[in-house]
Amino acid sequence: MTTTTDEAGRGQQLATPTPPAGPSRTAGGHRRRTFTVRRGFGLLGFLAPAFIFVAIFIYYPMIAGSQMAFRNWNLANLTDTSWVGFGNFLAVFADPAFGKVVLNTVVWVVASIVPQFVIGFGIALWLRRKFRFRGLYQAMIFFPWAISGFLIGILFRWMFNSEFGVINDLLQKVGLIDTPIPWLADPNTAMFAVIVANVWYGVTFFAIMILAALQSVPEDLFEAAALDGAGKARMLFQITIPYIRTTLALTVLLRVIWIFNFPDIIYGMTGGGPANQTHILTTWMIATTQRGDYGRASAIGLIVVAILLVFTAFYLLSMREKKVKA
Amino acid sequence: MRKSRATAAIGLSVVTGLALSACAGGASDGTVTLQMVESLTNPARTEVLKSLIADFEAENPKITVELISPPTDQADQKITQMLQSGSGVDVLEVRDITVGPFSTNGWLDDMSGELEDWAGWDDLTDNATKYAKGEDGKVYYVPYGFYGLSLFYRTDLVKDAGFDGPPASWEDLLEQASAIQDPSKNQFGYAFRGGTNANSNVVAAIEAYVADDLDTENAFKLKNGDTIFSAPEALDALNTYFDIFAEASPPSSVAWGYPEMVEGFSNGSTAFLLQDPEVIATVEQSEAITAEQWSTAPLLTGPTGKAAQPMATAGWGTAASSEHKAEAAKLIEFLSEDKQATTFAQENSLVPIVKSAAESDFYKTGPWASYVTMNENPDTYLSVTQPRGSSWWTEWIQKSDSEIQQVLIGQLTPEQLLEGWDEYWTEKWKSE
Repeated sequence: MTTTTDEAGRGQQLATPTPPAGPSRTAGGHRRRTFTVRRGFGLLGFLAPAFIFVAIFIYYPMIAGSQMAFRNWNLANLTDTSWVGFGNFLAVFADPAFGKVVLNTVVWVVASIVPQFVIGFGIALWLRRKFRFRGLYQAMIFFPWAISGFLIGILFRWMFNSEFGVINDLLQKVGLIDTPIPWLADPNTAMFAVIVANVWYGVTFFAIMILAALQSVPEDLFEAAALDGAGKARMLFQITIPYIRTTLALTVLLRVIWIFNFPDIIYGMTGGGPANQTHILTTWMIATTQRGDYGRASAIGLIVVAILLVFTAFYLLSMREKKVKA
Repeated sequence: MRKSRATAAIGLSVVTGLALSACAGGASDGTVTLQMVESLTNPARTEVLKSLIADFEAENPKITVELISPPTDQADQKITQMLQSGSGVDVLEVRDITVGPFSTNGWLDDMSGELEDWAGWDDLTDNATKYAKGEDGKVYYVPYGFYGLSLFYRTDLVKDAGFDGPPASWEDLLEQASAIQDPSKNQFGYAFRGGTNANSNVVAAIEAYVADDLDTENAFKLKNGDTIFSAPEALDALNTYFDIFAEASPPSSVAWGYPEMVEGFSNGSTAFLLQDPEVIATVEQSEAITAEQWSTAPLLTGPTGKAAQPMATAGWGTAASSEHKAEAAKLIEFLSEDKQATTFAQENSLVPIVKSAAESDFYKTGPWASYVTMNENPDTYLSVTQPRGSSWWTEWIQKSDSEIQQVLIGQLTPEQLLEGWDEYWTEKWKSE
């Protein structure tokens, strides 16, 4: 207590020097405030609410959740929550479904992100041109991003319904198929169906991000290139893409992480079925919590975190190397 | 200036802290606020519940009830979290499948003390009393109604296909549904359940086939102590059941859960549906089929001529952490009394918990008539208890649902399925 008062007193002394010392003035002539203990406390006080919130709502649940991964934590019986070391992790790896789930996760991410990126890029290029009602088109294209993933899952579940769904109905009307396809009842078509829904949803995000980046490319670059006789394709690959490369890289990184962590659509459409054939790691984790096994679900959660950390590190490193080379 | 800024900063932190803990406020003027949370939420049901709560509050001006209605899919998880945190819930919806884990974890109050002198006990049906007072006499919840299976069927399609009446047995169903099935016209026989909870109907079929040897107190067991899955008749049941899928159901029903099944029957594309009575209200609202086009029939029997009706139930209980147990018990008593219990059961199409309602005309006419038939013939329609309170029940649901789908898509044979299930339950019972 005494120390604090002393420090505060000293702080006050230090805080009120009449002649401003040389380094306190910046080149622009602004007075830079001298750091004092009192000022430190003030800052800390203002930052505290944010720190407290983040600590309570992010870090505490994360740590509490992580320790469950090393314990026998089953909601059906919490009278024995003893430590089991890596038991939950071993059980996850030993599960016969694990390999298929990991493979599905990779397919889910890659097969979703490639079309999302290509179509999103196309839409962004198209929306950059000035035309009538551009604002309206933009709003319409960005609309899916405002819908909950779970709701999209339920909507597509009905659309892909074999007997009552609009997709089979349309395909039959245009003569592409004779008999209805039981989309969600067959493991292969079910995976295809959930990816279609995800592509529809995620194109928007790429369109938004890439459009924003495109608007930062100076017009005079294109004008100069046009004078030099560059064609449209050349402008795209030699001006546009290199200019917005950082945004593209970060957008792809973000999307990989999000899609990896995005169980909503699969959960709403197939619940991981038929026979666990469309589970990705995160839907598998949800299914595990639903039978009360929070220990094993936590272990799956930590495996997801580990995979994403490794991926992010490699991705960022490779991007940095490219930049250095460039 | 600086001083006031520092004070403001500290003040802000304090306010934030207070705001975080504000949820746990209590009243000082003697009024009590009960937090009540429901599980099998649907908008119509919530309305009924709210009006009953309003009546309760009018009778008890010192008690206010705040009803929390999470979406059904996540409700039990939400309730679990609330119970685990030990605050924020006084009265909760307890289901036969959650009572086991909740009471094992010490989250439920044994209300036998509070409800000891309750006059309403005498009005309850035998089933309601049986489920309210568990084996050890502990009262963890008072049921509000029962769910039981009956066969919804299309009277017109059955007649057009040349049959005199609805199917009585699983074999009859296979025959009639196959005759009606015509995929080219988008007309299917049976609204097959291949998705979530597929296990319930499979087990109902097996139980009908082994009904003569069934242990009615634990309907996954035979009288000799073996599992029902080990009986040779179980394979006959599965063969008939999966034939119904192959020959008389929509191919996509591998993935059908509750919404698709009910939609399939309501929009006229399937002729038969095995469901709980709550579906009566939904089908009555159908615009595709009129009241004359459908009815219900009793649960399907096996070659034994018998069927086993697995009673499913839910009710109201009190959290062990509640600080207002007396008031909570008062609310539960109120909801379980004659008038309120009847309203709740009728509005939600449930088999009622009070004797007077069970005897009323409402439950003797129209789609409800089949329930009367089943009640009046207890030797044919055995009322059985499944081990739904086991701590591994949700694990079983996931395992069995997924394996049924494996059979449907050809990754597993019915023989392997039964062998696995027999092993699973034998192991579980051994480890108990």
